[in-house]
Formats: sequence, C-alpha cells, structure tokens
Amino acid sequence: MATTKIDKRMRWDTLHKNGPFPLKFFLTTKLEKNSSGLTGFEKYNNAALEIQKLIQQAADKNERFRAIGSKWSMSSIAHCKDRLHYNSFMNLKFSIFEGEMHEDSTYDHSNLFWFQCGNQIKEISLFLERRGKSLKTSGASNGQTIAGCISTGVHGSTIDMGSVQDYVVGLNLIVGPKPEDILYIERKSKPALRDTYTQNFNSRVIRDDEIFNAVLVGLGSMGVIHGVVIEAENLFLLHRYVKKIEKAKALQLADRLDFNTYDPKIPGSNFKGVRPFHYKIFINPYNTNEKEYAVEFIYKIKYYENYKKDFGNPIPFQKEFVYLDLIYLFIKITERFPKSIPKLINLLKSSILPKEEKTTVGKLSEIFWDTGYQGRAFACSFGVDHKHSSKTLEVLTELTRKHPVPGIFAMRFIKQSEATLAFSKFPFTCMIEIDGIQWSDKEKLISLKEYSTKMIQVLKDTNIPFTIHWGKNANWGFHGLVEHMYGDKVKKWKKVRSSLLSTQMQDLFSNEFLDSTKLSKPLISDEDLIA
Amino acid sequence: MRVLRIFLYLCIVLTISSCYSVRFQVSNGQWESADTEIDGSYAGYNVHTLDTIVTIKSTTGKDYFNIYDCPSGALHTVEYKNSLGSILLNCITFGRKKKVKIKYVCIKENSM
Repeated sequence: MATTKIDKRMRWDTLHKNGPFPLKFFLTTKLEKNSSGLTGFEKYNNAALEIQKLIQQAADKNERFRAIGSKWSMSSIAHCKDRLHYNSFMNLKFSIFEGEMHEDSTYDHSNLFWFQCGNQIKEISLFLERRGKSLKTSGASNGQTIAGCISTGVHGSTIDMGSVQDYVVGLNLIVGPKPEDILYIERKSKPALRDTYTQNFNSRVIRDDEIFNAVLVGLGSMGVIHGVVIEAENLFLLHRYVKKIEKAKALQLADRLDFNTYDPKIPGSNFKGVRPFHYKIFINPYNTNEKEYAVEFIYKIKYYENYKKDFGNPIPFQKEFVYLDLIYLFIKITERFPKSIPKLINLLKSSILPKEEKTTVGKLSEIFWDTGYQGRAFACSFGVDHKHSSKTLEVLTELTRKHPVPGIFAMRFIKQSEATLAFSKFPFTCMIEIDGIQWSDKEKLISLKEYSTKMIQVLKDTNIPFTIHWGKNANWGFHGLVEHMYGDKVKKWKKVRSSLLSTQMQDLFSNEFLDSTKLSKPLISDEDLIA
Repeated sequence: MRVLRIFLYLCIVLTISSCYSVRFQVSNGQWESADTEIDGSYAGYNVHTLDTIVTIKSTTGKDYFNIYDCPSGALHTVEYKNSLGSILLNCITFGRKKKVKIKYVCIKENSM
C-alpha cells in the first residue's frame, strides 16, 4: 500500500514566503516501493485508495483537506488550515498505446500521456524528451507540479497555444471517499481514451464539455486531481532573442499582435513577418524617459540534434545569481525611503532584466529552465484583452509611480482558454504583471494589500475588463471581485462543483481563499442551478 | 598595537576568504522536493547534509562515503563547503583529520 506520514505542524508557507499560514496536519504520501513488484496501475490505485482514506479521516474530524504540489502560488489558494496533502512523491507516468484510444478520438496516441499529480514540469519534460516529445508550453520555470499548474492556470507567453491547462485532454479526480468517487473526465466533443483503459484506474467515466471545462481550472476545490492526461507534441526548438525596441512599436505589437510586416532584425536569422511563439515586454515603471523597452522574442523552429554545436548550450555552465542579502538590504532602504525605489530599480536593472542581444536556442525545457532567485517575492498579475494592453500598462504604471513598490512590470500574451474560470478568458489575454521583492508594511511604503486593491479599483474606474491570476497576490476579498471578472461563469462553475461533490465534500475541499472569494458558497436556489 | 590590529585584520580576511562552497548539479535531472521553510536557492529541495570528521590512517588509501538515503540511486546536487576551521584541523593534525561538510540533493525517485 501507499503510505502516508502525518506530521503535526503549527504553520506552513509558500515557496516565496507569502505566509506563514496556520496548519494542523501535513500529510506526505509515498508510493509503494518499486521492489514490491506491483504494476504501475496497482501502485496508482493503491495511492487512490490511500487518498480516499485520508479524505475520510478529514471528513470524520469535520476538517478541511487540500492537495498541494510545489507551493509556487503566492496567493493563499494552496493553503487550508486543517490538512495539507503533499503529493510530490506521487509521480507515476503512463504512455498511451493505440488500442487504448477512444474509437472517436482525433488525437495521435503517441502524443498522449497520463501523469500522476505530483509529476513536476521538469521531470515531465525530461520524460517526454526521451521519447522525442515536448510539452506544448510551460510557465517561466519548471518546478510546479502538473496538477498545481492546471488548477491555477499557470501560463507562459505562448501567443497561439495558451496555458498549461489548454493541452490537458483528461482528468482523473477523486471527489470523495466512496468507490464511485473516482472519476475520469474528458470532453464529449474530444474524447481521448477508451473506457476499458480507464478501468485500469478504477474510474467512472464522465464525458461532458461543461464539466470538463469547469474542473480544468478547479482551484484545488473540485476534489483531488490524481492524474492528468496531456497532449504533447514532437520535440521542437525555441530561438530566443532579447532586444530593445522602440516603446511605441513594442506596445503597438502588444495591442495588435500583428507581426505580418514586422522585422525583429535578429542577427543571423530572418524572422520578418513571422509570428513569434512567445512575446514578452519588460517595463521599468519608474523610468518614464525610457524610449525603448527590452522585448523577448521567441520563435519556434524545427528540432535537430546538433543545435548546441551551432548555438552553444542554452543552460549556462556556471549559474550566476544576485546576492540575496544585497537585495534585502535594498528593500530595507526602500522601506524607509520610498523615493529611492526608482534609483534602486535602475541600479539592479542589469540583474533583474534579461541580457540583451544574445541568441539562445534550446528545447522548451532548456529555455524555461530552473529559476534562479527563490526568495521572498510578490507578484500581482492582471489579465486584460490584448487590445487594452498599452492602456492598462499606462494606468497601472501611473499608479505604481504614485505608490512605489520594489518591482518591475512585464507583459505576456496567451491564447484564450476553454476552462470556465481561466483568467485567460479573452481571445488573446495580455497578462500584465509586476514582480518584485516583498517589503514590510510597517514602514513608509504602501502595503501590498492596499496596492493590489488600488490596482483593482483603478481598472474598474477606467472600465477595463480584467481578470487576476489565481496564484498571484491580490486583495481577493475585494467585494464582488470574482463576479465582476467572470459574471455568469461563476454560477456554471459552482453548478458543476455541486454536481460532482456532495455538500460535505464541497466544504472539505474549500479553504479560506475560496471563502473570501465566495466561491465556496454553494448555489442554493433552483434559479441558480438553471443558470 | 598597530601590529596587533593588522594581525587581527589579516585573521578576519583569512577567515572570510577561506570559507567557501562549491556546488555541482546536473542540468537534466529532477531534484527531490521537500516542503520545508528553507530560504534561498535550496527552497523546495530536499537537502541532506553530511557533517563529520574523518580520521585517515596511514595504511589506508583514499576514503569515500556511501550515500544510503537516495532512493533513486542518483544525485542531483552536491555542495562541498570549506572553512578556516577545517583547514586548521587538517593542518594541525598533519592531514590525519579532515572535516567534511557536504550538502546533497537526490534525484527524485521514478522521475527518469
């Protein structure tokens, strides 16, 4: 059997130290050892039974239960005060064979893989690469678990692909302690797997587009995502180049996403008129005199074996980092002297902005490699229609100049997601984010909560429709925030949740984040259910 | 007095400069994770520490250490740390005693 170590804990924190948060129990489940001789399916099903046992234990104590992965979210979305279930060691992997495909499936079986929840992006990439495959996109780094990524909508800046959840084709959910509570859900319009195959995972099959789209970005509250079926693709290379371009041009490209006539003039390559795989703009909000922005262009090119011979190794031999103590010293200075922030940001510019004018070519996993700095960070990230990119940037940077905080802005672009509560809800969403280092609220700087409240308010005041990244910092208790962002979709999401989870399980899989956003509140009237 | 001060400065400089660590890691392997409150570049990593003093016998050759606690059987990161204390210990015992301080992170089991 899979085994679980239960530790009593007083507190828990995110990777970027956005807490600490109170906690009662920390649960770590490990799979049956390889020497047990069990098959992968048997080990997987053992783990499912173990999770159900833990859910029952929480229910018996009237406590809440939440699965967590690598705790990269900076909001409190991953936290619950009672029982956190750490699933990083649950990392089985299954290839899908031709005979296991649904008869109406349009997928190529060699691109489909079933990953257990605790698989991290890096190990998935390495596993796929050994089979000549690649993920379609990832976030800027690689430490998150696959279940964590899709639950919160992790994204890169892949204009025509979207976020991590957008290449998920099936989900294995555990919504309670009973045998019938193990579900395999996929779209009715795009079936992937044969029922006889999903029986290997003791799952009840649901094929329904509305249910699938709602559980896709489930905020950790649709039960435990035990497994994820993803669609990979053949290996490809990414050609990355960072250069400074005229501010007006960078913003025009952002507002239009039209690269038909644009020539990035990258030495040694001809990408004139080519739509980039990834487009990202870096903005120092404190330098209003800046005539140019640093822009990251990444183009997708065909994979070939000897690319390192032509372009060098994309992963540096010696990894450089900025002394954390130095950064914290700067933050201490800025807390006392807020007016020093622009100068200090300019001073750190060369360390926090990407190096320019250097071509890097590598696989997706090499371009979006290990993160260098993992300290006390904050990030506020808003999604807007890309047509509102420059206007939103203007509004948010103006606010930031009035209330300086130690961070810089970036803009990334992602294709619309079909997930009901995906923040990438616009045809092309521009994610405008400010990333930086945490500061103390006690000093002269505006508090993070107050700053993020003002950001929401200023976007509302200027009538710019927006969303917020679920895993980033915000005043999530802002009155009517989720309804403002998603309208009737909230009811749709709740309707699916109440159809899959009993009332007891809805509360068990809720947390303070869901309470503050009112998403934990079940639908009550018939009218709500019909909506 | 001035000589003493210079001597003290020299000692401080020596102490600081003799403390260093070198870290090696594989670029194409998944580190073993842990939910700890470790800050900095090891945040999220399951870090093991080997901190011991070994005595070398004149009749034995080069020593090595077995690592038992990597279920995957593979290492992701090894960090070797040196300090003035370990250099002095080695020096005053004429190389018979060595202070060994190593941090290591395993490759995650089943990740390959």
